[in-house]
Amino acid sequence: MSDVSAIRTARARPMTEMSNLRFALVVALPVLVFLILVVVYPLVYALWMSVENIQFFGGYQTEFVGLDNYRDVLRDKEFWHSAWISIRFTVESVALTLVIAVALALLLNRPMRGRGLVRSLLILPWAMSPYGTGIIFFYLVRGQTGIGTAIAAAFGSADTINFLNRDLVIEVLAVGNAWNMAPLVAFFLLANMTTIPRRLYDLAAIDQMSALEQFRHVTFPPLRFTLFVFTCITTVMSLKMFDYVYTFTRGGPGDASAVLTYQLYKVSFQDLNLGYGAAMSFFLLALILGSTLLLYLAWGRREVS
Amino acid sequence: MKTEVTRRQLLKASTSLGLGAAVASLIPPRIARAATALKAESGQPVFFRGWQYRTDIVQDNVERYDKALNGKIDYATVTGDYPSLMEKSLIAKAELDILYANPSQAVRYYEGGWIMPVNDLAIGQEAMAAMYPHIRDAWSHKGKLLGLSYFVTTRGIIHVNLDKWNKAGFSDADFPKTWPELYAAIYKLRDKGEKQPYLPHWFNEWYGISWAFAFEVMNRGGQVADPETHKPLLTVDGPAGAVLADWKKLWKDGFIPEEVLSYNEAAYTDAFRSGRYVFSPQQAYDLKQFNLPDKSPQLAGKIAFLPYQGQSWGLIDSAIYMMTSRPRPAAATEDVKRFASWYGYKDENGEISVGNRWMKESMLFSAYKEVMEGPLAAETIRAALVRPTDYEKLLDVYAHTPYPKGIWNVVWAEEYNAWVKAKLFDFLLKDLDAKDVITQANDKIAALNKKYKIA
Repeated sequence: MSDVSAIRTARARPMTEMSNLRFALVVALPVLVFLILVVVYPLVYALWMSVENIQFFGGYQTEFVGLDNYRDVLRDKEFWHSAWISIRFTVESVALTLVIAVALALLLNRPMRGRGLVRSLLILPWAMSPYGTGIIFFYLVRGQTGIGTAIAAAFGSADTINFLNRDLVIEVLAVGNAWNMAPLVAFFLLANMTTIPRRLYDLAAIDQMSALEQFRHVTFPPLRFTLFVFTCITTVMSLKMFDYVYTFTRGGPGDASAVLTYQLYKVSFQDLNLGYGAAMSFFLLALILGSTLLLYLAWGRREVS
Repeated sequence: MKTEVTRRQLLKASTSLGLGAAVASLIPPRIARAATALKAESGQPVFFRGWQYRTDIVQDNVERYDKALNGKIDYATVTGDYPSLMEKSLIAKAELDILYANPSQAVRYYEGGWIMPVNDLAIGQEAMAAMYPHIRDAWSHKGKLLGLSYFVTTRGIIHVNLDKWNKAGFSDADFPKTWPELYAAIYKLRDKGEKQPYLPHWFNEWYGISWAFAFEVMNRGGQVADPETHKPLLTVDGPAGAVLADWKKLWKDGFIPEEVLSYNEAAYTDAFRSGRYVFSPQQAYDLKQFNLPDKSPQLAGKIAFLPYQGQSWGLIDSAIYMMTSRPRPAAATEDVKRFASWYGYKDENGEISVGNRWMKESMLFSAYKEVMEGPLAAETIRAALVRPTDYEKLLDVYAHTPYPKGIWNVVWAEEYNAWVKAKLFDFLLKDLDAKDVITQANDKIAALNKKYKIA
């Protein structure tokens, strides 16, 4: 076909002939640009930093160090300590969140007077920012102003009861985290529960199932997918939690609650070792991706299928 | 159009002009010049940031400047890890013109090239001459004065709950003279039934346990690092070893509640305010807060301090107002200088009004002789003390307080501080060996000197 006839054919083609693929690309373009700006650019920038040694004093300068930062992170005892603390905090947070959420959902699903008010009150902890939650729990558990000392004082004791110690600090952190997150999970579970047909409970009653059997065979199965989704969400949120830990314990006492995000903050912003911090952040990313992948393989795949 | 002026109008105008001239002649020329020199002109905001302390006073000061001298001051506080957050703002050349800083941060910021020294101000030489020389030296680096006076105080002066001390059968004559004597007194108090005789300065702020170690080493006659060369000077058989040995003994003997290691400063002062403790290293200016009935109902009228009896207590804690050198229009920079001069030195009336106000409201000492030697300071300090006769004793403690130049007036100050804070927590919680801690601290300082090419 000559050039002239090709141009004519193109001109003759109506505007409505844009293919579905092209149309989809045009529509998705703003989102893609946005994603590149807010996700890809910082990620690539962090990747670049992780292979550099960055200096701010004596004039800004960078030096390519290859994978040295990654190697140093793996040799760093504090990194492994923090990774372990993060895992422990996450496992305890997720378990507590789910248990409390299921209990709350069961409670809210029961007919009771003032149920609307109770539901409104129970969602309030979720509305609290992690930053605020950390401050509240700090005052709640420390010996000077804490609930333990208040109870002891009510019984006439002048002793201070301190929960902020290295043996309990992770558990106390997990309780505060679960207090913050469980209401949201509970409401999603409650929504699930309200879709369970009433007649299933009637049939269970005819079969003379105990309350536990009823929960296991009637209530629990429809909740499993929601529980899986929220296990993933709370896992990710707990692993990347920083502000709550900062305002609550600042990684202390000592480094007893120095989760990986706190360690990252120390390395990057106190020591100003940005390259090393960036490398460490990729290990955190790997931990988050790895744990959610593990959850999917062990649990989610079954639920999806 | 009629433009004629009647005789009545002429007389009125003449009278007004005459009166105006008469009033103007009553204002001393020096004040008029000062007001003109300090008046903001660019119309640009000046970004002023600091940590959270008496924000009501700061806001009020700022409003006074705005109103009197056409300022557009954008004042806000920074919550969290102040040194790190400010450092990030400076690196990012964020909207930041004037900031609070401790000397340990100030040197680092200056070395980063982010700071405009006081020498660049029109009032620079005058302000420098108005300061006590030792404070001016503490705030100077490489021949430049890094900032203007916010406050000076003794941190780590030992507060004593006289009520508890006397009830235990002791008097002023029994006051410990040194750190070892203080720790011995703690054991005696426990023998007398005091459950919590001592609240140590081991809290979890950048100026908590790490500064406690620094001041105790200095009070016992040692140095962490050389003031000029910054070479490490800690020794196991010297003051540092003695400090760590005493700390470990107190810790193992169960004197210290573990939660102290997680406290921020508010929690730390609240703990002492509870009235449970007999001794605690605190800020000198908190004597005022602790002795006020509305601020500290359980302590008011009971809190004195250990006087100087041959050994110093604490360290010189201070803060300055620094000006950033971030890129901005020249007119805006001039306004930054004007506001810094007004806020950090003298106002349009030629008075150190902000410094005097801090003294009056919070008993914050100043680097300026005019503030410290004026009647207001004497009156304020006397009123804050349980016994007005303690006035001279407090100034005596202050006069003997050392300044840790070796670890503060150096670019790595905050890096070392964060490291030693973590290490000291580990020393207590993980039962590290004192010798190892001292060796590692010396190694850390040597490594930092090497990193920053400090000979």
